[in-house]
Amino acid sequence: MEIVEYSRPRSIDEALRLIRDRGGTPIAGAAWLRTNAKTMKLGVDLSELGLDFIRETASGVEIGAMTSYRRIETSEVLAQRFGGALGAAVCHVVGVQLRNIITIGGTAAGRYGFSDLNTVLAALGAKVVLYPNTVLDFAKYVEAGAEVPFLIEKFLLPARARAAFSQFRISESDFPVLNAAVAKTETGWRIAVGARPAATRLCPRAMAMLGREARPSDAAIAEAAAQATVELRFGSDIRASAEYREAILPALLRRAILEVRG
Amino acid sequence: MNITMTVNGKLEHLECAPGDMLTEVLRNAGHVEVKKGCDTGNCGACTVLVDGKPVLSCSYLAARADGKEVTTIQGRVEEARRFARFLTAEGADQCGFCAPGFTLTVLAMREELPNPTETDIRHYLAGNLCRCSGYEGQIRAIRNYLEANHE
Ligand SMILES: Cc1cc2nc3c(=O)[nH]c(=O)nc-3n(C[C@H](O)[C@H](O)[C@H](O)COP(=O)(O)OP(=O)(O)OC[C@H]3O[C@@H](n4cnc5c(N)ncnc54)[C@H](O)[C@@H]3O)c2cc1C
Ligand code: FES
Ligand code: FES
Repeated sequence: MEIVEYSRPRSIDEALRLIRDRGGTPIAGAAWLRTNAKTMKLGVDLSELGLDFIRETASGVEIGAMTSYRRIETSEVLAQRFGGALGAAVCHVVGVQLRNIITIGGTAAGRYGFSDLNTVLAALGAKVVLYPNTVLDFAKYVEAGAEVPFLIEKFLLPARARAAFSQFRISESDFPVLNAAVAKTETGWRIAVGARPAATRLCPRAMAMLGREARPSDAAIAEAAAQATVELRFGSDIRASAEYREAILPALLRRAILEVRG
Repeated sequence: MNITMTVNGKLEHLECAPGDMLTEVLRNAGHVEVKKGCDTGNCGACTVLVDGKPVLSCSYLAARADGKEVTTIQGRVEEARRFARFLTAEGADQCGFCAPGFTLTVLAMREELPNPTETDIRHYLAGNLCRCSGYEGQIRAIRNYLEANHE
């Protein structure tokens, strides 16, 4: 990775100014950025902006953009929430040494197809806060991106939701072949599917089939899982064909829904 | 650019390009015990501790290590030698290329997890690939090492 100029601002206003006015590139963990062959005119290191936090608020949980995967995986606050789905989504990513580096903000900003964490955030109905005060629905943001150069400050998660993450990988620390997350939130059931291999998407019609039902029947679950395969598009890559992904999705979804339903 | 970090307890003033990764900068400064395996964040050979936490030096920006404490296997050489005896006893080391990164990760695990189960051990070390050993001997060596430390 080539960086012409490097800056490590101490304030988030200064970081945003460098990104907006001087065309700076935000640097989070840099683990993915470093694979980029392009020369970076100005690298803006976000590590000293105080964005490494997980905190409970009156309305839910906030996670700062620079929070590492390892911190998410070992957080007691998160272990007690969402069925541990956030920890389950990050703990497969290579090893502890990489998870001490990579961040939730870099993952969200990249809107990567393979992302496990983005699938859980979408299912939970998380919001992403672009500094200073743009609040976007996370699932919509993954679909559409953000227009101007932006700086992700934090993520807002609901106070309560039951959730589960399920995935299929060829080997433990490889990229996923397919992933899915299911949540029962105050507005009803939510289902997100990622690594298709394209980025995570909600399945609105499958979600509507489960509605707000606290304990959907096994038949309703099977129907919703089948519906998800109809409304999503799948692609082929070196890990699996589109047909294979489509074939395994109902099993991943059934498992996750049953885990949430109990 | 110039950066200053404490490497194995000694203050070092180093020069690097803003985009350099820590592996390169440490090796250029003579710390060749830091191994470069895949250089893509997958194998764990390049593991060092930054402020006590294990990180992949191939994926860690050297500029960010400015002002921090970096530990390579040479900084923990006594414990490394002791652990190596357990590896040898199980025939769990062949070419040894993975050993510096692997051993530092084991030492970090010992500090982070008080009583790891076998599942915890396998999970903690999932990012340390070894192309020679087949892992079973390493797992036995770790278990024996942790038990001996408890006694
Ligand atoms: C070897 C390897 C294996 C991996 N395997 C998996 C896997 O199995 N599953 C999985 O889900 N993920 C996997 N990942 C990806 C990883 O989870 C992260 O998503 C990725 O490394 C990006 O995080 P980062 O903190 O390194 O971001 P960076 O590389 O620093 O940044 C990524 C992008 O986001 C931008 N950016 C960063 N932070 C912000 C911010 N706050 N505001 C605006 N823009 C920002 C950067 O400019 C850059 O464009 C893997 C990564 C590696 C290196
Ligand atoms: S050299 Fe760093 S992970 Fe392989
Ligand atoms: S002993 Fe050869 S790579 Fe591990």
